[in-house]
Amino acid sequence: MIPGFHFRLMLWVGLLGCASETRSGPTTVTVSGSVLGAEGQILRRQLERFDREHRDIRVEMQPTPDAADLRHQLYVQWLNARATDPDILQVDAIWTPEFAAAGWILPLDRFAPDTAAFFPVTIEANRWQGELFALPWFVDVGMLYWRTDLFPKPPGTWEELDREARKVVADGSPRYGLVWQGARYEGLVTVFLEYLGGFGGRILEGGRVTVHEPPGVRALTTMRDQIRSGVVPARVLTWHEEEPRFAFQNGEAALMRNWPYAVAPMQDSASSRVAGRFAVAPMPAGAGGRHTAAFGGAQLAINGFTPEAGAAWQVIDYLTSPEQMLERARVVGQFPTRTAVFDDPALAQALPIPPARARQIVEAAVPRPVTPVYTQLSEILQIQLHRALSRQAEPAAALSRAASEMQALLDRVGLGRGGVAVR
Amino acid sequence: MPSVEPRGAERREARLAYGMVAPAVATILLIALFPLTWTVWESLHLHDLRMPWLGQPFVGLENYVEVLRERRFWGAMAHTAWFAAASVSLELVLGCVLALAMNRTFRGRALVRASILIPWAIPTVVAALVWRFMFEGLEGWLTDDLGAWLPVILADTWKETPFVALLLLAGLQGIDPALYEAARIDGASPWRQFRYVTLPLLAPAILVALIFRTMNAFRVFDLIYVLTGGGPGTATEPIALYTFNSLMHNLRFGYGSALSVLVFLVTFALALGYIRLLGRGLTEGRP
Amino acid sequence: MRSQGRWATLVMAALVLGAAFPFFRAIAGSLTPEAQLFEGAPLWPSPAVLEHYRALFAERAFWLPIRNSLIVAGSTTLFCVTIGSLCAYALARLRFRGKTLLLGVILAVSMFPQIAIVSPLFLLLRSVRLINTYPGLVLPYLTFAMPLAVWLLVGYFRQLPAELEEAAMVDGASRLRAFREVIVPLALPGLAATAILTFVYSWNEFLFALSFTLGPERQTVPVAIALFRGQYQVPWGQVLAAAIVATAPVALLVLAFQRRIVQGLTAGAVKG
Repeated sequence: MIPGFHFRLMLWVGLLGCASETRSGPTTVTVSGSVLGAEGQILRRQLERFDREHRDIRVEMQPTPDAADLRHQLYVQWLNARATDPDILQVDAIWTPEFAAAGWILPLDRFAPDTAAFFPVTIEANRWQGELFALPWFVDVGMLYWRTDLFPKPPGTWEELDREARKVVADGSPRYGLVWQGARYEGLVTVFLEYLGGFGGRILEGGRVTVHEPPGVRALTTMRDQIRSGVVPARVLTWHEEEPRFAFQNGEAALMRNWPYAVAPMQDSASSRVAGRFAVAPMPAGAGGRHTAAFGGAQLAINGFTPEAGAAWQVIDYLTSPEQMLERARVVGQFPTRTAVFDDPALAQALPIPPARARQIVEAAVPRPVTPVYTQLSEILQIQLHRALSRQAEPAAALSRAASEMQALLDRVGLGRGGVAVR
Repeated sequence: MPSVEPRGAERREARLAYGMVAPAVATILLIALFPLTWTVWESLHLHDLRMPWLGQPFVGLENYVEVLRERRFWGAMAHTAWFAAASVSLELVLGCVLALAMNRTFRGRALVRASILIPWAIPTVVAALVWRFMFEGLEGWLTDDLGAWLPVILADTWKETPFVALLLLAGLQGIDPALYEAARIDGASPWRQFRYVTLPLLAPAILVALIFRTMNAFRVFDLIYVLTGGGPGTATEPIALYTFNSLMHNLRFGYGSALSVLVFLVTFALALGYIRLLGRGLTEGRP
Repeated sequence: MRSQGRWATLVMAALVLGAAFPFFRAIAGSLTPEAQLFEGAPLWPSPAVLEHYRALFAERAFWLPIRNSLIVAGSTTLFCVTIGSLCAYALARLRFRGKTLLLGVILAVSMFPQIAIVSPLFLLLRSVRLINTYPGLVLPYLTFAMPLAVWLLVGYFRQLPAELEEAAMVDGASRLRAFREVIVPLALPGLAATAILTFVYSWNEFLFALSFTLGPERQTVPVAIALFRGQYQVPWGQVLAAAIVATAPVALLVLAFQRRIVQGLTAGAVKG
């Protein structure tokens, strides 16, 4: 009767919708990655080339959101459901240990990748319990952008930066001395990491949390004092990556800490007021530390449930080969992860900044703690960092609290001082 | 309804009724039953996706205990309760005012009604982006613990008041004008008319608005995620965002499921409370 | 009464302006050239450009998500109104056991946080191969749009006089036919109200659409807009233009049916 009719209608519609295309013939490998703008175009071009050169493998692109959170959520959903597609995943710098521990991506050692050809930090960040789980694709590092028309040379230490910035800002233009990402999110931890390294500190030492030791306190106090004294405007506490870029681009900031992506838009004289008047340098160091850059970027991993691991490896191998990296550098301005490419003179035309400078900063890169519970640790740290910077807590107290919570978490899941849990 | 029919007719009626509700029930059971039981089941197990070597042991109410001990949970609940209370009351008051004003006939009523409904028609993420766009230039609001609530509550009120106004307008138009006439003859002022004629008869409409608005306010996610991301710090973090973080960021499915069940229980209790306080059950009465 | 009239008009004007202002800002923003869009965006751009709208359709093929949203929202509305009205009629007019339980279950289903339901629902839909299909979205939307639909329609049906069906049945029609031929035509305003509510819900829904679709052939408007975001950059101009375009169909529907809608909600829908 009527209910039956409705049932049948629904079933019918359901069946119609179920009609999916099946493909037979060559192996199909799906790559998930950024499809927006120039990045999407270059990826498509490279994959098409691979397709032509390999008759037995078909490559398809599966678009995933560029926004890290959204992509992460989709990956979690798919991998938790043991989806076999996409075969290749573009993995953010901090996801590798998490996915590796969950058993969602394949160890790559059996394909004998040429790990010595990559920068050591890029390999180190992708190892979990001795095995390599993702191949570095391109690297993002935190850099100090400085106005060449306001400073004779980039400040090398924090004292120097404070001094010079104050001088430059004294007559009102530009408004801000230094700007960075200060909102309560992962970006804040990367900025803090650079101050921390500059004072010789680390977040984690093995299974022991060390962020609350004197270097950490000094680093956070420096950040807070810069806001207090006005070298860094208080507004940065809601800023992500774009706000500082616009401030610097409109000539309102003398110095900026940001990722390499900002170089290209700021060199466009049509919309940028600082085109041709800025350069990059490593972040300053303090007493007892060294220049530090936060390690970011993308790596390629193989879905742990894929039936075509071999074919997927061929695609990854292709995308991370020197020619492809050089082409990416030229089209999108992303830094290659192979050391040899930096020796190639073609890179100087490809990259918007001098390769030697880029190489110096990449070699100063430090990864965030390589542990599967990193996102949770980061959350704890972010909250306390932000509280200290917005003057709700003293740096020492905030860091102590963060450290004890982080240590408790690590100990509780067996990744702390008691030793590392076995997979 | 003539009641001389024998039991057979009653049974026929019941059978027809079951047949008519069957499609709705079937859809809901098909879609919702598995996810809901799965969530409850997960909440009773330790399930951390990052550490599959820990397995998925049954831990009883341990997840719940951990949730109730977690300071951030209580913070998130407080934020959600405060957000729900503030925005729902604001929406009720403004909605009432709007409904009263719209209850009169005037020219251009159609256009006014349509333009008032527009905010409600915009996708939440888009509305949140627009409001963030508007507030980003203003100094100090989004950086302040308390101040960040202003754009959040404003955005939600802007978006949801039209819906409340419509529901209340419906209720208003159901009130017999003769009652107002009688009250006026008795010398009641407009305020007293409102208080003693309008409000009591509006109670059912207010009930529906309260239930649905509170339910949705308790589950607020998109709006705050896009507007403030839960910041500064965790100052504007609602319970749904905390659940999202636990599930999708920290991959703690057991813990996150316990959170969800708790949210469900709170919402359910609230709905029950409202119904008891304000409602004459929709299922009672005729026929 | 005079002063009340003026007061009412003032309040109305203030509220309409308040409702319209952000929308006006969005329109202004969508017509502003990209370079001017950040901090210090003017109240009204000069020169006003249609660049973002052009890019929306030429570069991003925004037709696709609009088509998908129309199909999904349309189907959901159709099914929700049909199934919901059957259910609501039974609840309102027929006698049977388990009414309160039924209403409670329908309501309780939508009290769970969506994010908790997404994962198991994904698993479920995947097991019946409904991921990245239209039914894969319509079915969950139906489930979660049902409570409000049923509640509204129950109230609406209640206030229709009982004599209506009886007259038809005395003439020999079955209850079902009476429902179809007598009640439904009279209930059009209530159905219209339910329809627009369901349509708006489906049109704007984001989390399920993001999680259950895989590519542009099935992604809906809110997902498409969210995907405009680059890793760090939000192309505000295009996002705002997309927002305006996304709101247009709903706005038109509302304008066209607003009288019916208010009538539908009005006729004692919440009299209880």
